[in-house]
Amino acid sequence: MKEKKGMTKAEKNTAMWAYLFVAPTMIGLIVLNFYPIFNTIYQAFCKTGDFGKGNTFVGFANFQSLIVGNNSSEFWQSLLNTVKYAIIEVPFSIVIALVLAVFLNRKKMHGVTVYRTIFFLPMVCAPAAVAMVWKWLYNQQFGLINNLFGTSIAWISNPSIAWISVGIIGVWSIIGYNMVLFISGLQEIPGDYYEAAEIDGATGIRQFFSITIPLLSPTTFFIVQTRIIGALTVFDLMFMVMDKTNQALPKVQSVVYVFYTYAFTNGNKGMGAAVVCLLLIFILIITLILQSCEKKFVFYN
Amino acid sequence: MKLKKLAALILALAMVLSLAACGGSSSSSSTTTGDSSTTTASADGSYSVTELTVNIWDNNQLAGLQQIADEWTETSGVAVNINVVDWDNYWTLLEAGASGGDMPDVFWMHSNTSQMYMENDLLLNLDDYIAADDAIDLDNYYEGIVALYNSDGVQYAVPKDHDTIALLYNKAIFDEYGIDYPTDDWSWDDVYEAAAAITEAGAADGVYGFAMNTSNNQDGWYNLVQGYGGEVITEDHSDTTIDSDEAKAGMEMMRQILTVSVDQTTVAETGTDSLFMSGKVAMITQGSWMVYSFYTAENSADYYWVEIPYCDANGNGECDDGERVSSYNGLGWAAAYSVADPQAAYDLISWFCAYEQQVEQAELGVTMAGYIGADEAFSEAFGDMDVSAFLKVEEDGTLYFRPYTRNTTVWEDALQQTGCFLDAWLDPSDPDLMSQACDNAGTIIRNAIAEE
Repeated sequence: MKEKKGMTKAEKNTAMWAYLFVAPTMIGLIVLNFYPIFNTIYQAFCKTGDFGKGNTFVGFANFQSLIVGNNSSEFWQSLLNTVKYAIIEVPFSIVIALVLAVFLNRKKMHGVTVYRTIFFLPMVCAPAAVAMVWKWLYNQQFGLINNLFGTSIAWISNPSIAWISVGIIGVWSIIGYNMVLFISGLQEIPGDYYEAAEIDGATGIRQFFSITIPLLSPTTFFIVQTRIIGALTVFDLMFMVMDKTNQALPKVQSVVYVFYTYAFTNGNKGMGAAVVCLLLIFILIITLILQSCEKKFVFYN
Repeated sequence: MKLKKLAALILALAMVLSLAACGGSSSSSSTTTGDSSTTTASADGSYSVTELTVNIWDNNQLAGLQQIADEWTETSGVAVNINVVDWDNYWTLLEAGASGGDMPDVFWMHSNTSQMYMENDLLLNLDDYIAADDAIDLDNYYEGIVALYNSDGVQYAVPKDHDTIALLYNKAIFDEYGIDYPTDDWSWDDVYEAAAAITEAGAADGVYGFAMNTSNNQDGWYNLVQGYGGEVITEDHSDTTIDSDEAKAGMEMMRQILTVSVDQTTVAETGTDSLFMSGKVAMITQGSWMVYSFYTAENSADYYWVEIPYCDANGNGECDDGERVSSYNGLGWAAAYSVADPQAAYDLISWFCAYEQQVEQAELGVTMAGYIGADEAFSEAFGDMDVSAFLKVEEDGTLYFRPYTRNTTVWEDALQQTGCFLDAWLDPSDPDLMSQACDNAGTIIRNAIAEE
């Protein structure tokens, strides 16, 4: 005999309302996120036709070309470039932001809000505009940096330093955002700990390493995780700062830049889709590693 | 209580519907517009639309074209809204619009991509409209441009303009170092000698004789390849002879000039036109579509145009038949297949391309005409600046159509980068690098054509 486990009328009513209220979000997610994701994965296995018409299934041919075939050197180089960019952007932007946050969290200081605003400003500017300004600062002939120091360094054309130059722009533009997150994290820490530490005679630096850093670790972990993902998907900086005929471009272009070249410049959507699929897998692996580290390094009160 | 519930329900529904409408609108328009092209407006000039959107990529031409379009609005009553999207993003946007069914009504077509758009039926078939129109007879337009926008016997665009290449020099720099001015009779060897002298004399001031980027193909090194007898793309668009001895001789000339030109790291950061306008470079080659920006530059009184130098392939010191070559290309006015009122879109195209407006376009200095014999006024359009060099080359020299294949961008971009000509540009002192780059270019182009 089958046991009937139907819902009561009231329960059905509640469920309907629940569905109705999540519907706007769900529909948005399905139309704008899920459908494109699955369509992209599908296209990665296709030789795509012009204007999204006439896709032919080619199996792993795109992936093979990227991993071991004709396009492999470009793809692996771009992945290396992206990782190098992340290695500059993530640690520096976090350390500098943390130090700034600690200073700007002191209520006694005059003009705290002014400083906070100044450091947050790059976040408000359009990334493309930021990149354009830096492009001119870095210009070898007419740039402000070279003029100021009387040097003639090809900041963005020398393959061995261009990736650092681009990384610096990334650090500069993200510091304010990280700083605001750190400040909010700092304000969660109860003042009693510091008072107790002071009574015990701990110095400011000791307090910082023994109280601030451990208690701030949830915030730090959040920032590390989101910044790594953000850095691995960087595109606009390279795109705006570097000309196509720049000799340093192959040593700087990120994975997403390569995706853009394949998918939009060359109109090869299938290859582009395969590039982002590989990037997705890479980011998933990194995130899994990070998640498994969480218990070791993060202290939740 | 009931009222509240009802209100909440209506609100929620409205939200859902508006969201669904957002997501669905693009796909629904692409399915319905396919047959909307059969609904034509009445022939007496009353249109079913009140506005046409037009996309172009050259900001310099906006004012002149808007003026011509506004004159059409006066008689037709249809407003014309011209948007400028820069070259790189123009194609990204147009392709996305074409895939999603949301293209501008009327827009420019270019040799790089026209074949792809025509084959996929994304452009409005203009045959019937042209046949019924007294103002347009395709025989009056440059043959190469008409043919470019024709696929399987169907005409998809009407030539808007054509362009040629000339040499631009800064008189002030030649005066300063006491070098003779370039003339219409110069060969590329003369350019090399003058550039060498200026680069040497100007070393202390950071002034160079010449500048060319790998991206200067149509207005630059293509002309040397073709002038020395090579072909970037063969006439049937199926092969290249860029790795032939003739083409290599042309690129060898290019290499020598590069040894006395601005280095590649500089031109990659600052465009050759910007370098010229800041008085750092004495000579560059430029296309006729660029005249306006030099005309409006600060020191334009010092700028002079002469004919593009000839390629002295046989070394006799004279300009023989076929030694002076300039690429030419022409844009076409096309309409989207899905345009709401095809008659209105076509009438605007017809207006832009008719003889009077082609003359006006030249007079306003927008560009040279696509209509043969309509651009005499162009050489007068820039006051004291004499731009007749662009017109003279059509009589003195040979024009070849800008090389294109079905998907030009793929190989064109690859040629500019490392693994091809960029290597030679970075170290022009090594002749082997340039020769190797020509070989690589041949492989790149053939592979790209095979993929098409």
